[in-house]
Amino acid sequence: MESLAKQQIIEDLLPQKFGKAGKIWVGILLAFCTLGLVAYILQLKNGLVVTAMRDYVSWGIYISNFVFFVAISLVGSLITAVLRLTQAKWSTPLTRIAEIIAVSAITFASIIIIVDMGRPERFYNLFLHGRLQSPIVWDVIVITTYFFVSLLLLYFPLLPDMAIMMKHKDVTGMPWLNKMYSFLGSFWKNTAAQIHISEKAINILSITIIPVAFAIHTVTSWLFATTYRPGWDSTNFGAYFISGAFLVGAGAVVVAMYVFRRSYKLENYIKDEHFDKMGKVLVLLALLYLYFNVNEFLVPAFKMKKSEEEHLMGLFTGEFAIVFWFAISTAMLIPILILITKKGRKPFPAFIAGLLVVIGSWFKRYLIVTPTLLHPFLPMTDVPEGYKHYFPTWQEWSIALGSLAGALLIITIFARIFPIIPIQETITEIEEHEQA
Amino acid sequence: MNKHSKIFFSAILLQLLAITAFSQAEKNDLSLSISYFNNNNHTQYLVAHAKSKIDGKFQMIPNINLSFYIATEDAANLLGKAVTNEKGDALLFIPPTAKDEWKKSAKVSFIIVSQKTKGFDEAKGNVEITKAKIQIDTAADRKITATLLELKDTVWTPVKAIDVKFAIKRMDADLNVAETPTYATDSLGVASADFKRDSLPGDSKGNLTLIAKVEDNDVYGNLSSEKIVPWGKSIKYFTEYDKRTLFARRGKSPLWLELLAYSIVVAVWGVLIYLFGQIKKLKQLGIH
Repeated sequence: MESLAKQQIIEDLLPQKFGKAGKIWVGILLAFCTLGLVAYILQLKNGLVVTAMRDYVSWGIYISNFVFFVAISLVGSLITAVLRLTQAKWSTPLTRIAEIIAVSAITFASIIIIVDMGRPERFYNLFLHGRLQSPIVWDVIVITTYFFVSLLLLYFPLLPDMAIMMKHKDVTGMPWLNKMYSFLGSFWKNTAAQIHISEKAINILSITIIPVAFAIHTVTSWLFATTYRPGWDSTNFGAYFISGAFLVGAGAVVVAMYVFRRSYKLENYIKDEHFDKMGKVLVLLALLYLYFNVNEFLVPAFKMKKSEEEHLMGLFTGEFAIVFWFAISTAMLIPILILITKKGRKPFPAFIAGLLVVIGSWFKRYLIVTPTLLHPFLPMTDVPEGYKHYFPTWQEWSIALGSLAGALLIITIFARIFPIIPIQETITEIEEHEQA
Repeated sequence: MNKHSKIFFSAILLQLLAITAFSQAEKNDLSLSISYFNNNNHTQYLVAHAKSKIDGKFQMIPNINLSFYIATEDAANLLGKAVTNEKGDALLFIPPTAKDEWKKSAKVSFIIVSQKTKGFDEAKGNVEITKAKIQIDTAADRKITATLLELKDTVWTPVKAIDVKFAIKRMDADLNVAETPTYATDSLGVASADFKRDSLPGDSKGNLTLIAKVEDNDVYGNLSSEKIVPWGKSIKYFTEYDKRTLFARRGKSPLWLELLAYSIVVAVWGVLIYLFGQIKKLKQLGIH
């Protein structure tokens, strides 16, 4: 990277217009978003009866999706804050990718929770009549806080790049975009005083985001763990959720790294070295999550209390066994096997491993939420057959896929408008390196 | 009529007879009875019971429309109508309009009539009671007495040799005041019992409700009388309702939780507000 001239870096990292593939990709995402929107309008019109959720399974794939989004959003704190505070300079090209994943995920976490409400127009009652004792209220507070912290952590490092963008107005080709850059960052003059304030703010945010990020996922885990149900009644849940969140977030970053590197030809910036290091991070996180999974399932399985037995056997050998072992394999075992070797940490295998982690982690969230609801302490008697099973309806699938597409659309549009790799930071690092 | 015709018509006749017999057999006999209640000498009501023997067992019959009459089954003497519940019971308070008929004699009869239904024919039931009243009283040494009087012509006369039950009213059922459940009245119509339930939980002032009653008597029906006495143990009921607890309503969370939660919110949002202020500062630095 040392050999790259400053002008070359700017040219390489400025946002690029969508090519044919980019346009198709955006079209697909928009189609899924539209389908999700149509399904949601139907749900609003007819009520939650259009879903497969009934008296027992009252949390289906909407809540699974919510937990997944909250988990993936934790990546912002991992890459940006932890690696920044530990002065791991290699992570600089990845910080913005991580932060936009965090912002888009937390945005859709907030949206999907409203989708899960039968009467969304009553959402404001949560603020008017919410009880401070309820973990749901804590979740609302902490999600809102995390959203703003992530947004600020995205915004401050963007300021110097905004000034660069304004100098290259011709590249964007869209006047409204230039107006937006001007509105957001025209005041940035790259003075010593401004740089000092910005660096201080980023440091403060890096410190602040870690406890907030831990809180967001711990509180989400408490939504489950503070209830007395087989599978949720666990003291392990906070750590179990956080380790899983770090894993899926890191997996998502690896996937995004590969996609951006290929789409925007960023091989000089997102190097094999980054995949190697992120691969090691993924192995560590997968082992950690595996450890918590062993604690979460092996200890209750060893005791096999009557009330837990049906739930656990349902996961190990019963109706959820295929999904359970698929999730364990794809989210942890296979990625570990791929990434543990140096060859496995090359970009493509690492991308595959990251993709498996993300897919497996989505199903893992589904397994955390739904099977427990199908195994209450008191047996289900005198209920319609449909209450005893849960398979999402097309409306639920459409809304869930629409929300996932929406999160990807935010990331895609962001990368079209702003540099996905911090330009000024990259230049500064090279300059510092050369001076040293 | 030839041989085949005779056989044919005989078969039809037999079938008609079988159908008639079957339809008659479908209807069961409805048995109606009636009980008279007089609580505290002022609340009087009647409870009708409807039952029928089905498949060799008596079963309570719900949804039977009943008309209640006093003295005779005349429209003028109609007390009211009621429908039996799932236990086969129907309750009717004796209305003030029955006052004139009630006063006519020391003995009063009540009649119930059911309407004909798909499953049952019309049925009737009646009861005759002699007007009586019971009075409860207590003495300082925790002695309870009850005096049973019946109306003879126009004079209230003591009734002897009638079993009176003394009890304490509890939440679900009555509790006997001593091991002996019933006490017979003497020639003065008085029955007495000793209160043997020490330290029985009462209300916040230690009050208990004593009850003296005559149950299912063929002549007088069901009579009861109550009295509140301070013979129980005073119980101060402790409730967490509306206190600051983790399960209380909004605005009643424990102070430690409020302090902790609001401190965290203020600290984190304080940082965020400070950082928003830094953006403003950056703008000012850029402008100048």
